[in-house]
Amino acid sequence: MTTKKKFDPKQFIINNAIYLILVALVIIITVISPRFFSLDVARDILMQSAVRIVVAMGCMFIIVSGSADLSGGRMVGLTALVSASLAQQAAASLKFWPGLPELPAFVPVLVAMLVGVVLGGFNGWVVAKLKVPAFLATLGSQMIIFGFSSLYFNMEPNRSQPLGSLTQSFRDIGSASLFGVPYIVMIALVVMLIVWVLQTKTCLGKEIFAVGGNLEAARVSGINVFKIQMITYSLAGALYGLAGSMEAARTASATSAYGNAYELDAIASCIVGGCSIAGGVGTVGGVFAGVVIFNVISYGLTFIGISPYWQNVVKGLIIIGAVALDVRKYSAKK
Amino acid sequence: MKKAMSLVLAFALVLSLAACGGSSSAPAASSGAASTASSTAGAQPVAGVCWYNFGDTFIANARQTLNDAAAADGTVKVIDADSQNDVATQTSNMNNFYTQGVDYMVLNNINNNAITELIQQAKDKGVTLIFANSNSPTDEEFALYDNVYHVSSMAPQSGTIIGEALAKYWQEHPEADRNGDGKLNYVMLLGIQGHYDTTVRSEYSVKALNDAGIETEAVQEAICNYQRADAQNQMASILQARKDDVEAVIACNDDMALGAIEALKAAGFFADDASYIPVVGVDATKVGVEAIKDGTMLCTALNNPVILGNSVYNLTKLLSEGKELTQENLGMDGVTVEGHHIYINYVGITKDNTDDAAY
Repeated sequence: MTTKKKFDPKQFIINNAIYLILVALVIIITVISPRFFSLDVARDILMQSAVRIVVAMGCMFIIVSGSADLSGGRMVGLTALVSASLAQQAAASLKFWPGLPELPAFVPVLVAMLVGVVLGGFNGWVVAKLKVPAFLATLGSQMIIFGFSSLYFNMEPNRSQPLGSLTQSFRDIGSASLFGVPYIVMIALVVMLIVWVLQTKTCLGKEIFAVGGNLEAARVSGINVFKIQMITYSLAGALYGLAGSMEAARTASATSAYGNAYELDAIASCIVGGCSIAGGVGTVGGVFAGVVIFNVISYGLTFIGISPYWQNVVKGLIIIGAVALDVRKYSAKK
Repeated sequence: MKKAMSLVLAFALVLSLAACGGSSSAPAASSGAASTASSTAGAQPVAGVCWYNFGDTFIANARQTLNDAAAADGTVKVIDADSQNDVATQTSNMNNFYTQGVDYMVLNNINNNAITELIQQAKDKGVTLIFANSNSPTDEEFALYDNVYHVSSMAPQSGTIIGEALAKYWQEHPEADRNGDGKLNYVMLLGIQGHYDTTVRSEYSVKALNDAGIETEAVQEAICNYQRADAQNQMASILQARKDDVEAVIACNDDMALGAIEALKAAGFFADDASYIPVVGVDATKVGVEAIKDGTMLCTALNNPVILGNSVYNLTKLLSEGKELTQENLGMDGVTVEGHHIYINYVGITKDNTDDAAY
């Protein structure tokens, strides 16, 4: 390991690849269509990224702790349904809970987060107590959660009809702005700030890194691994619940198909954003950039009218490229 | 352990590539278990129903109707299973039913490359095969076995209905040509690539416009996987890039139409009469019909799941009583019987007849 800090352009590119790719993408798209470089576009992209950011932050906790979570997307779907069903207008023509009065907008959000905490806690318990490998444990809970989503969605009198007629105050969470900044973007920023503080300024954050870095060493040094895993999964669940209600508010609807495959996008964003697959490494800024990159690609390629099939090619190349660089970053340090 | 985890995550990453493309279904558990809807014992004929996906709004309604009809009537017993949008699961469910000795196999088929084999199998087992809400066998395939039936809507109708509604609006509202180029510039929101409904709805809606003498030009086609959030995201981008060119939105289902409407609202449309823009969808979901009542969505096409469920039940009942399939014997409104086909008619829903969407 070198102690002298000399500017090495190659190392700089490797260390900041994700941000450079993002800048390059924006430049390329702007050259093709100059109107891309505008505040309106930036706001659109941030609004579309907001839900994904919150999901990815939850996912990051788990990846940093050296674990995996495949149930996030379905948890977003279930909590979107739960929050939408509690956020309907009193006079909705097809009411999920007939007779339910109009609730203040924060109630569905809190209930969704609570559902997330419970399901996340279940994941944590299966992983930490039953010692089921995280990948399989959360694959199982993904199915369980989707099953519950479908059952809930198909309940009388709703019978699998997309939910609608949400209250204006709830919809405002996803579409209204304050001084030009959409609430949904503010929520994502606040979440990022809280996660950053938790990760870098608290004992808990350091313990999560320690567990992810080397589980046995963490155990030996007196960290309660069970507790840490329960906390990371529950925290992630709370964030998935928040994301679910944000998605319902933004689209003013919900179905059981919501959130499908979001967990895989979140994992991809985390990895592209510099989280180590092995655990113990990950930053809020990197993951944020990872999410934004994918949204810039899908928004930008639609913006310049490129066939949607190419979006997948570009996304795939970026994932491979980012991970290839990432591998070099750590092998260089070790 | 870590190494294994890396492998596993790498695998997840590979999956995510597919997921970026919006693959529609999560890894599905194989479930051979069939649920029993009605449990009356005796020498009652049994129909085994393989639905493609219980979670689909349309299927959920059709299934409920069929099971309710069987429970209320009692002539034919109905058992059903969920293929979970997976050909392998459909195959195991069918084998399960054949082993149970069903008299009728009702198949909401997703294995469209194997229609001949499916018919051959039913013939070997001596079971009447009814294709429901899926592609029709060809005439040659029908010729393989007498006891093959087909109950489905005529998918092209849905495209034609929304295309005609859009044509009518265009002709009555010259101001709808916002960029004044004499052409109808539309955004097409597609469901899943290569999906039959997506293909015919997009094709026949535009065909109906052209048949009405309207010149059309696609501003952009976007694949939104039938999802509201996808449509909202992509529409926002299209509007930022080419807002002044967009004069209509054709969506292959209501959820995407509603997602587009959210994006259009955010871009300043639907604020008053002058900023109205026609958006059409298909399905007539409850929220879709609400949007028509609210004056945002122009038209949707209803494929009535209740008629599907009842048609399937009445067909099995009629056959079990030894009768032939004819329009009179079936005795139902909203369907057209042709040979061994029962065609369910799509109904166009606009603000003039929203009551017709109640089923």
